[in-house]
Amino acid sequence: MQIPNLFLKSAKKCGYDVKLMQTSGISHLYIESNKILSLQGNPGLIIKTKRLSQGVAIKILVKKNVKIKKPVFLCFGILNPKGKQIILPEIILEKNSELKILAHCTFPQATKVIHKMKAKIELKKASKLFYTETHYHGENFGAEVVPNFKILLRQNTYLENKFILKQGSIGKLKINLEAILEKNSFAEIDSQIIGKGREDDVSIFDKLLLEGENSHSLIKLKGAAINGGKILFKGETRASKLAKNSRGHIDCQEIIIGKNSFAQSIPIISVENPEARITHEASIGKVNQKQLETLMARGLSEKQAISFIVRGVVK
Amino acid sequence: MKILEVKNLSVEARADKKTILKNISFEIEEKSIFVLIGPNGSGKSTLAYTLIGIPRFKITSGKIFFLGKEISKLPIYKRARMGLALGFQEPAYFKGISVENFLKACSKNSQQKEIEKALDLVGLEPKKFLKRKMDQQLSSGERKRIELASVIVMKPKLMILDEPDSGLDIIIYKELYDILDNIRQATNASILLITHREEIGFLADQAGFLNKGELVYKGKFDDVMIRYCQSVGRRKRCRKLKVKKT
Ligand SMILES: Nc1ncnc2c1ncn2[C@@H]1O[C@H](COP(=O)(O)OP(=O)(O)OP(=O)(O)O)[C@@H](O)[C@H]1O
Ligand SMILES: [Mg+2]
Repeated sequence: MQIPNLFLKSAKKCGYDVKLMQTSGISHLYIESNKILSLQGNPGLIIKTKRLSQGVAIKILVKKNVKIKKPVFLCFGILNPKGKQIILPEIILEKNSELKILAHCTFPQATKVIHKMKAKIELKKASKLFYTETHYHGENFGAEVVPNFKILLRQNTYLENKFILKQGSIGKLKINLEAILEKNSFAEIDSQIIGKGREDDVSIFDKLLLEGENSHSLIKLKGAAINGGKILFKGETRASKLAKNSRGHIDCQEIIIGKNSFAQSIPIISVENPEARITHEASIGKVNQKQLETLMARGLSEKQAISFIVRGVVK
Repeated sequence: MKILEVKNLSVEARADKKTILKNISFEIEEKSIFVLIGPNGSGKSTLAYTLIGIPRFKITSGKIFFLGKEISKLPIYKRARMGLALGFQEPAYFKGISVENFLKACSKNSQQKEIEKALDLVGLEPKKFLKRKMDQQLSSGERKRIELASVIVMKPKLMILDEPDSGLDIIIYKELYDILDNIRQATNASILLITHREEIGFLADQAGFLNKGELVYKGKFDDVMIRYCQSVGRRKRCRKLKVKKT
């Protein structure tokens, strides 16, 4: 298995177990620009790719009743400072199957990189998906990244979806996620973002539609807008007429530090079934002074103390 | 050698320019314990904050020397790096941060072993507490012990402990005094201990009584205690102390 060193370095930065990534037999797919570097499926897990002029279309399928215990690693990157990449994944979990995906997108040298992803995900009855996507966009604020998710959760399904961008610069990031939840399904959509500079410009729009009885959802954003960073967050949850006893919650917590930083949180909730309940809470504020003083009284400089506190909040 | 020298220190709150401390002078010797007592609102915490350099308070006159160097103008973290440490009266909580990571942040080079040792020393089982979060689920007594551990792992030369015994029950604060004694033996640090409890007396090398922002008396602990009782009107207690003395 040939994994570019820069992929490994950046995955490690984002907390992935690089040893496990390199274990032989572990399912994975590594793509640089539009080149497939390495691909490994497994019994019950089919991974297919189709090369496009500027990217790759991918199909991942877990067969009925198959529960894949070890994580599948997906890594999409552009190693040049400039480039464009379009990734079109389609992920299908058949009935009663289970999958854990650790995805990593990396543009470590980016000065002018565009990365677009359009993912379609379907969880068939009683399947379970744990999906984590970490990003590293280098240190030059030179990336423009547009991930798009359309997710369908059939009856009795379970989804944990995490998006994490805490290392390095961001550049432009625009996430759009829409999920439909059928009866008895559960979805948690979790974003953790730290914008550190004037050129960091983030917008996240998570939209969940509760369309079945007893469906449950949670949207979480933990963020920090530092030194001019901007984070705009819109979290929407709707319970339809059919969504009897459904529950939804939106939770947004952000820290804002420094001049010209900007954080905005817009919750949208709507309910059409009298037995459904949707709630939201949001807070945006400066770093807690007492925490700051405590850490400085332990010898941390102000900068070190702030970064420690931010890492605690954005978790 | 003197660890700390405070000379004619007057302090006001930056917010309302109200004078809180007036013309305070005292010294703390190497490897000694100085106990500071005084009623609520007398300015004990303000003195602690001023010594560590919290910018809410402004020195209007006087100077602070630590290890012979004037530190009155240094920022908090520089004083801390010189070996001055403060355990806060009401410690802050940190959502999402584990006890282990907090203690690691507090101790620049401490090994895992030392972090566990510090927890042991304050009576918290490392196995149980390392992974706990520093949030409100900790009881206030547990949080206070972690505060103490976080000061220990700094290996300071002077620990200022602001009422580490408040909010602890009777058995526990007795245990705490043994802990403080152990700390002194183990680390050779001096301690400036702010407290309301006279039970601490056996530990004190020196003491001071702060009243309405003035250090009205300093000397032997028992003498200070008598002044304290006289002043706050605890006559009975005062008589008892006097009897014990003669
Ligand atoms: N930031 C501030 N601005 C204005 N006044 C303050 C400020 N902090 C404290 N004070 C006032 O200064 C006085 C001394 O407060 P301080 O907290 O030092 O007392 P203390 O001796 O530690 O009391 P306690 O035993 O209750 O802890 C009080 O009258 C208090 O209200
Ligand atoms: Mg106090």
